[in-house]
Amino acid sequence: MRPTSWLAIVVVALAAAPVALPPFFLQLLTEIAIVGLFATAFNLLMGFGGMVSFGHAAYFALGAYAPALLVKRLGVPMLLALPAAPVVAAVGALVFGFFIVRLSHTYFAMLSLAFAQIVFTIIFKWKALTGGDDGLLDVWPPGWLKSPAAFYYFTLAVVGLSLLALRAVVDSPFGYALRSVRENPRRARFIGIDVRRHQLVAFVISGAFSGLAGGLFGFYNGSVFPDFAYFTKSFEPLVVALLGGVQSFFGPLAGALGFKLLEWAVSRQWPVYWPLFLGTIVIVVIVVLPHGFVGLVGGRPWRARPIAKA
Amino acid sequence: MAGAPDRQGLGRAGALETRALRKRFGGVQAVNGVDLAIPPGDLRAIIGPNGAGKTTLFNLISGDLAHDTGQIYLEGQEVSGLPPHRLCRRGLGRTFQITSIFRRLTALENVQTAFLSHHRRHFNVLVPARRLYRDEALGLLERVGLREQADKPSGILAHGDQRRLELAIALAGAPRVLLLDEPTAGMAPRERHEIMALVARIAADTGLTVVFTEHDMDVVFAVARRITVLHQGAVLAEGPPSEVRASADVRRVYLGQAS
Repeated sequence: MRPTSWLAIVVVALAAAPVALPPFFLQLLTEIAIVGLFATAFNLLMGFGGMVSFGHAAYFALGAYAPALLVKRLGVPMLLALPAAPVVAAVGALVFGFFIVRLSHTYFAMLSLAFAQIVFTIIFKWKALTGGDDGLLDVWPPGWLKSPAAFYYFTLAVVGLSLLALRAVVDSPFGYALRSVRENPRRARFIGIDVRRHQLVAFVISGAFSGLAGGLFGFYNGSVFPDFAYFTKSFEPLVVALLGGVQSFFGPLAGALGFKLLEWAVSRQWPVYWPLFLGTIVIVVIVVLPHGFVGLVGGRPWRARPIAKA
Repeated sequence: MAGAPDRQGLGRAGALETRALRKRFGGVQAVNGVDLAIPPGDLRAIIGPNGAGKTTLFNLISGDLAHDTGQIYLEGQEVSGLPPHRLCRRGLGRTFQITSIFRRLTALENVQTAFLSHHRRHFNVLVPARRLYRDEALGLLERVGLREQADKPSGILAHGDQRRLELAIALAGAPRVLLLDEPTAGMAPRERHEIMALVARIAADTGLTVVFTEHDMDVVFAVARRITVLHQGAVLAEGPPSEVRASADVRRVYLGQAS
């Protein structure tokens, strides 16, 4: 079959990358994988649940700080600390999501943003615990994971398994019900679906994997900072998912690849002008490619349809 | 409230009953003390001029709107104030006046999702859904005449086919009482009779109680077992088609004659 052979090529290429590429590009690929996971988790809400969050940095940051604090304050080894990332982020998503899913559209987005700013403020102000503005430094993985190639493989494995899990969620009965909620909440209620509870469960799953992305990023970065929770960080998965295509499961992954490669290519020449490039690209993609980058290679037409509500 | 042992005899007999149901929107008393008693297996038409309160009544019964006062009983149990998803679990299904389907899902997925929810699999994240209840869903699509359209996105289906699909979605929940709000709206006359004949057949086969609103009087008199006439939010007349057709009050309301 064609999709499987494509997948095989991608897997082989990714596995061979450390042989062919210098460390810098391995780090870039690692970052792409992490951003791809973050955006895919975000898109479980946006693409499949019809919920646009402006505050996903909250769960990314909770996921980054939880294991970093365990490592720094309690001396827990990284591999034991990392699972705290999705757990703490999921708890945060459960508490905030309980209120957020009571609203819809713009109000949903604004309340999610408000909660993220609360997380940011707490991290920023609680210096004794979080280090405040200085962040937490020297949050490195153990020696055997420190090399770019080792951490690249580790990230690839964690992200790969996470994507499989998210894919299973999308294809499961829960995923079908979630899409029905996106399409028509009123009709969904009349087939027996408790709309808010479905949205909340999706919110928690999305938050958990956003947190895992944050946890990986903390160790990749070697340090965590309050701006992981800042609202500009919340727009990263939104822009990445939009670029790649929110109607496709792999859209956000494609978006992460395109986004990071363009950022690298433009920034090395004209670092100052990257925001200008990004803005232009976003406009062009939204106008010309409503299905994002994945719209270029086709896909299932019923998934790749404009969001226009009928 | 819901589930309370409110069984004062009267409630037990009917599939669906309302008592003194009222709803006011600002200055408009949209539903003004409606008493309905619909026995199991009935094919009940609710008719009335525009603004008579038909759709509001449906929205109250189905929990889509909160009523001001009065009670609603489903199979003898008081269900006043229950949200739609709970009512659905208790055997109430409905369709909408304006077609309400999952437009970016295929016809098959529309019905499959309803089956998944009915069988309480909708929180399951561990198995793929693609093959679950597929045969059941295809069977139901066959029944409403959409077997050939199963894999098309439902949003691109013809209007009449979308109405049929919504009927299939509602039926997938195995309701015992089904509310159809103008099920044939926007259909050609021939298709109207076809779809209502189908509803009547399914009702006869399954013992389903159907309550429907309809503007096309040909359809109403051809299908309904009994007819309830609403006027200005209240029941004006009720009876078998022949009686309602002969009623002077009903003629006055429909023809706008003063008498």
